[in-house]
Amino acid sequence: MEAIEVTDLRKSYGDTLAVDGVTFTVRAGETFGIIGHNGAGKTTTVECLIGLRRADAGSVRVLGEDPARRRRALAHRLGVQLQDSSLPERIKVAEALRMFGAFYSDAADWRRVMERWGLRPLARKAFGDLSGGQKQRLMLALALVGDPEVVVLDELTTGLDPIARRETWRLIGDLKAAGTTVVLVSHYFDEIEALCDRVAVLARGRVVATGTAGELVARTGTASLEEAYLALEGADR
Amino acid sequence: MRAFTALAAAELRLLARDPASLFFMVAFPLMLLVLKRGDSGAVPGYLAMIAAIGGMGALPGLLASYRERKVLKRLATTPISPVLLLGAQLVAQIAAGLAGSVLLVVVTITVFGAEPPGNVVLLAAAFLLCSVMVCALGFVIAAVVRNTRGASLIGMLVMFPMIFLSGAAVPRKALPGSLRQIGDVLPLTPAVEALGNAWSGTAAVFPLLILAGIIVAATAAGAALFRWE
Ligand SMILES: Nc1ncnc2c1ncn2[C@@H]1O[C@H](COP(=O)(O)OP(=O)(O)OP(=O)(O)O)[C@@H](O)[C@H]1O
Ligand SMILES: [Mg+2]
Repeated sequence: MEAIEVTDLRKSYGDTLAVDGVTFTVRAGETFGIIGHNGAGKTTTVECLIGLRRADAGSVRVLGEDPARRRRALAHRLGVQLQDSSLPERIKVAEALRMFGAFYSDAADWRRVMERWGLRPLARKAFGDLSGGQKQRLMLALALVGDPEVVVLDELTTGLDPIARRETWRLIGDLKAAGTTVVLVSHYFDEIEALCDRVAVLARGRVVATGTAGELVARTGTASLEEAYLALEGADR
Repeated sequence: MRAFTALAAAELRLLARDPASLFFMVAFPLMLLVLKRGDSGAVPGYLAMIAAIGGMGALPGLLASYRERKVLKRLATTPISPVLLLGAQLVAQIAAGLAGSVLLVVVTITVFGAEPPGNVVLLAAAFLLCSVMVCALGFVIAAVVRNTRGASLIGMLVMFPMIFLSGAAVPRKALPGSLRQIGDVLPLTPAVEALGNAWSGTAAVFPLLILAGIIVAATAAGAALFRWE
């Protein structure tokens, strides 16, 4: 079954054509990566998936629903980490988790989420006093506190230290084992290789290739995902 | 409902953690009362002032900062509706204003031995309408002015003259005629009147109707102009 189906998605901001006919599908339980240069349209695509933006053309289906029209119903089943967002400066870590937990009809126990993401020592710390990586970790935990069926993570581990990164990978592995569908945007090839079943390569608003890391490497006759990416990106230019 | 309660409780907690809000909505009116030697005639105006400080002094900057820092955007990915968020802000502002107001009234009566308000139910209704009205104006400011500094500044620039000219901070009798005329058209003036009437126990419907009208107009304008991003 397909958890996500994006067909010929198009989106412009004024004169800027951000997404120019993107098509891909994500199967239920799959971990799907999106890579691409800065400004390729990854965030725009992801924001259309979660109903934050309405596509100019094309269709988007998440768990069978149109996110632009059924955002709130879908939001109960979605977990989201945005590339760029924040919380009130003075809200404490535990308060944020508890509050977000109260938003969802079928939430996970927020205390357990706090524990799993190593946030317990920070429970009484204000958001504004957290380090960049600590904030990132909290935003990830908030994406999961609603016990979602589909998780969308825009720049999963940007700003995390190497240990926190590995720890995050392990937790994404747990999600996968539990059958959660994950879409993750990343600039790190090791991360994509470690976590993703399949990858889409975006360049200038279009998908230039989709497949497993192995398939992309084989198709380009290169030796690594990074080289494959560079070859695909270069060929499209 | 659970989501709304959680949101409103969190917002109220954040307000209580903000030293400026705490000072201006709780300590400052008490200080003025002491300077006035407990003159209960000034209290209805101070109640309007407390509400105005929250709704126009603090709320516009708060909403604009939530928008600028993408807090609103993050909340928009959860099942809560945007309207719920604004409702939670409103409830938090009213609750904070009510706390400051009740304290002020209690001190006026117990410490300074003033007569209790003539009509408590009417006073509560007037305070509620006044609070919603100033929050609606604050919402309009946050809708028109997009960045945080601008929205805070405009909020203050609107709020300060208004509390002086509407009779909230100083009696309008003390103002020269031309300034009094400006006060005649300010939205906070009917709020001060309504609170004053309720305090003295005279039931006058007209100021309350004006407040309701301003609430409807400002909410419609704010809703039409407000941008979540
Ligand atoms: N709100 C906006 N208004 C105008 N243009 C925008 C907006 N958001 C994105 N864009 C433009 O749309 C294009 C795609 O941006 P998008 O954020 O989707 O890229 P991205 O692939 O996520 O990039 P990055 O790796 O830097 O996060 C860019 O050219 C960007 O400048
Ligand atoms: Mg991006």
